Amino acid sequence: MTVASQVKQTLASLKGAQANLETFALNTQNQQAKQLYTQAAEQTKSILSNLEQRVTELENEEPQYKGF
Amino acid sequence: MPDWLNIALRSTGAIVYLFILTKIIGKRQIRQLTYIEYIVGITIGSIAGFMAMEMDGPIYHSLIALTIFALFPVLLEWLSLKSKFIRNVVEGNAAILIKDGKILEDNLKSERLTTEDLLEHLRMKNVFRVADVEFALMETSGELSVLLKSQNQPLTPQHLELTVSPAEEPQAVIMDGAIMDEPLATLGLNRRWVRAELEKAGVALENVFLGQVDKGGQLYLDLYDDKIQAPRPNEMKLTFATLKKCQADLELFALETQDKRMKRFYRYDSEELQDVIDQMKPLLIR
Repeated sequence: MTVASQVKQTLASLKGAQANLETFALNTQNQQAKQLYTQAAEQTKSILSNLEQRVTELENEEPQYKGF
Repeated sequence: MPDWLNIALRSTGAIVYLFILTKIIGKRQIRQLTYIEYIVGITIGSIAGFMAMEMDGPIYHSLIALTIFALFPVLLEWLSLKSKFIRNVVEGNAAILIKDGKILEDNLKSERLTTEDLLEHLRMKNVFRVADVEFALMETSGELSVLLKSQNQPLTPQHLELTVSPAEEPQAVIMDGAIMDEPLATLGLNRRWVRAELEKAGVALENVFLGQVDKGGQLYLDLYDDKIQAPRPNEMKLTFATLKKCQADLELFALETQDKRMKRFYRYDSEELQDVIDQMKPLLIR
């Protein structure tokens, strides 16, 4: 497994977790909990975009593994 | 009119009238009687019995007596709402029995309580050692309220400086295999959501005895068929585990890479994610 595909895997799991956080935010009626979930989802989203950038960089470094 | 019919009519009338009167007196009657309500409660019963059986006098005599007895506590309550003095007279004062960890013998005597009575009352509050009590008060209702010394009070998350998720009241959305619409609406959910959740759990609606929505919209199911194990909602725990795994991955990447700049980026991301995890821990796990 190349580094890029490892990072991609982490990226995918994190994306799932981020989506779950958003679902929890939508499902709860408690305003405080809603706010905390939304905040965490936002923060995770920014980490996600960072990671996506990393993946692009890695793919540029190892073009032969692009897409894996 | 034959006697038996007269008695039957009077009894029915007495019961109905008594029912109406107790409705007026209110729900306080049963649980916490004041002196007056206690007296009224006894008297009203005997007047009603008298009304049913005594056929000589006209029926309205008993009705008048009943009404006065029933309205008296209502009037007193209204007065005691207005004035603290009347409140003290009618309801009496609470008596302090233990203060600063010391039993006040004089108050015990004036409440006509023996030591055994005090111990019994304390035991009913799950207190077996008098030494654990900081403060105890005999309420006007005759019940003992106990404040334990702070070192003997039950441990709460606050003592451990733990943050916990805000409490949300659970709603029963499925009862006896039928979907309850009102609690669902309170949660902002609908029947389709319930069906989707049941589909996920692989359970038929008819087989559900009770379905309760916990915090974060997790559906807890209890089935009629106790042999089938209903899947426990673990979405929150899974999400938390995923977050932790991703954080560990990021740290690993930071260690593995030789590129200084990448190392810094990964480290930064993993710290950010750790922050998210710390924030979410009380909500997802506790």
